[in-house]
Amino acid sequence: MSKDETLGEALRQQGISRRGFLKFCAATASMMALPPSMVPAIAAALEKARRPSVIWLSFQECTGCTESLTRSHSPTVEGLIFDVISLDYHHTLQAASGTAAEAARETAIEENYGKYLLIVDGSIPTANPGYSTIAGVSNVDMLKEVAKGAAAIVAVGSCAAFGGIPHAHPNPTGAVSVSDLVKDKPIINVPGCPPIPVVISGVLLHYLTFGAIPELDSLSRPKAYYGQSIHDRCYRRPFYDKGLFAEGFDDEGAKKGWCLYKLGCKGPTTYNACATTKWNAGTSFPIESGHPCLGCSEPDFWDGGGFYKALSMPTEDISRTAVYAIGAGAAAGVALGALNRAKKAKATKAHEKVTINDLEKGN
Amino acid sequence: MSASLQRGINAFKEQIDAPVASFFSSCVRCGLCANACLFHTETGDPKYTPIHKLEPLRRVWQQNYTFWGRFAKALGLSRAVTDDELGEWETLVYDSCTMCGRCSMVCPVGNDIAYMIRKMREGMAAAGHAPEGLIGASQRAVTIGSPMGVKLPALQAQIRHTEQETGLKIPVDVEGAEYMLLLSSMEIMNFPEFIGAIAKILKQAGVSWTIASEAFEATNSGIQIGVSEIAAELVERVVAAAEKLKVKGVISPECGHAYMAIRWEGPNLIGRPYSFRVVHIMELLDELREQGRLKTTGKESQRLTYHDPCQVARRGGVVKQPRNLLNMVAEDFVEMPETGTMNWCCGAGGGVSANERADEIRLKAFNRKKKQLDAIRPDAIVSACSNCRIYLEDGLEEYGMDMPVLSLTETIAEHLAGTEQTGSKE
Repeated sequence: MSKDETLGEALRQQGISRRGFLKFCAATASMMALPPSMVPAIAAALEKARRPSVIWLSFQECTGCTESLTRSHSPTVEGLIFDVISLDYHHTLQAASGTAAEAARETAIEENYGKYLLIVDGSIPTANPGYSTIAGVSNVDMLKEVAKGAAAIVAVGSCAAFGGIPHAHPNPTGAVSVSDLVKDKPIINVPGCPPIPVVISGVLLHYLTFGAIPELDSLSRPKAYYGQSIHDRCYRRPFYDKGLFAEGFDDEGAKKGWCLYKLGCKGPTTYNACATTKWNAGTSFPIESGHPCLGCSEPDFWDGGGFYKALSMPTEDISRTAVYAIGAGAAAGVALGALNRAKKAKATKAHEKVTINDLEKGN
Repeated sequence: MSASLQRGINAFKEQIDAPVASFFSSCVRCGLCANACLFHTETGDPKYTPIHKLEPLRRVWQQNYTFWGRFAKALGLSRAVTDDELGEWETLVYDSCTMCGRCSMVCPVGNDIAYMIRKMREGMAAAGHAPEGLIGASQRAVTIGSPMGVKLPALQAQIRHTEQETGLKIPVDVEGAEYMLLLSSMEIMNFPEFIGAIAKILKQAGVSWTIASEAFEATNSGIQIGVSEIAAELVERVVAAAEKLKVKGVISPECGHAYMAIRWEGPNLIGRPYSFRVVHIMELLDELREQGRLKTTGKESQRLTYHDPCQVARRGGVVKQPRNLLNMVAEDFVEMPETGTMNWCCGAGGGVSANERADEIRLKAFNRKKKQLDAIRPDAIVSACSNCRIYLEDGLEEYGMDMPVLSLTETIAEHLAGTEQTGSKE
């Protein structure tokens, strides 16, 4: 497969029909909330797109993001798209190893300087660079080196986007996100633990189609996928609105499929496409399987105070502090009240009868 | 003992109670009360914002009854209220506030601003910052028995005149009568027809009543100036006379603040419940109507509207009764745009009418009533407060509007069934 082949040519070689390709383009357009009129534009752009060079760096991660992407539903059009981008460096997927692998990375940087796409999964340790190294190069150094020549960076997974589980309290490795270290490149965060496969491929497609990064929210997440909360699109939302909640995992409410808010569902504060795109080729998503949303695509989800604590409950055990505070508040209130009563009683005592002779001002 | 700043501040401290404290601490400074006040809407001057009229009282509350206020005062960070300041506020508290209570209606956190103005006046009066006109009225009320200086002989003359005109006996000091009628000086001097109207209606309904020679005055200057002792003394006179004559009820006449004073503030002022009930004349007439004891014939063909006296409607709750009565005798009754509990004040209540200094601002504020009237263009205005009537007439004259202002009681009496004066008035 030549690097100069266009995506259209490559797809036809893979046995993908024009019809299948257009269907994919239409699905992509609707997923990205683009109007139907954009479908031909997407198709045209993708037909002509040169396969861009992609360098994938994995740092402090569990490979879950890669697993999510590769294992999802294959063989699908999304999977093939990944075959046809020029994935020049990826630990898990590349055939080369050792010096040859690193040479491939260096060659890709050199040949496509300023044009390649950098994908990162995993957080970067800063407490001691030695905590995570690849071929003797620390994660921090490698990220900085590869980022320098990248056109854009996609931070895949909550670790790369927000620090993720390595960043969770007490964060022994000093883990940080890509955006904490790289300030001068466009960064797209695609958080999730892991992110939904089609969300990863959709973001890449957008970049290929329009040659620009998609519209992002305040956390640099593509609005097309992270624009709405799980709660707002949840099929259990009507139960929430009616005040019907499951109180335990095996109670009547749980069996009837009522809202999982009281069981700690983070849907109301989590922005992701799970409730609409779903997982495993559109089979279901956690809430549909009876488990509350963990909020994995939000920053610091691991430190949210317990997955099974309702959002309305305080995140930390404050009972003792609360008792003292209430006690102190009540004591201060009683004391102030007594002072005020004494003052008012004094004023009442000092009251002199006002008669019609007292209305004029004396000298 | 003369009035002084010290006495005034002491009175403020004394007047601040739980409602006042909660009102001040709940105020969110939204400014909605500004557009509820006719003195603000007609002048556009922000100093007439109702809650701003309470600023000295608020400072006394803050400096004496709040933690941070005490703290700031101890560190010298907040100024004490001065005599000059109270002098500056005198016109805001007395001249440009009729205690109509419209601001209390719109407050989103439920602050009763009129209630606080009433309390603030206690301190203002004790500090010697009450208007001359109200001081004089209060002195006359206590010494002569009427804020306008009306003495018993004047009433007796009007009674004789009414008896000649109607041929009906006006009962005076009749022990055991069902009701004792109070009158405002305004009615005795300017609208004596009211006495005849009552006599006719109550005769038809078969209600026994009397006037007390020892306590015929309904108004209460003590409440307007803000001196509870004077107010209580005036209420005591009415209560003593009613108890002496062993009446079952006391009728508050067509006067706004008189009703509020005797009906709502009275028992609190004297510190004990009454042995009789108090009704506004509108309430009594509507009861009689319901019982079928009040019958009318004929209807006014002219376009009539009803001006709600603030203390009777908004502060007193008598809203439906006058409308029931007016519908008996009016063919074409139209409501003003804002009416009932949201009616706009005539501009002369709450002691403003006794305070000549306020004439200019009062007439300016009347423009609000003019706008209301312009919207419906009635032939005549009916009201149930003689003070409202006098100052509606005054305002209409100022703005060159030709429109009679009628008494609802008198209008009903004119249409009373079975009397010579029946028939439609042209």
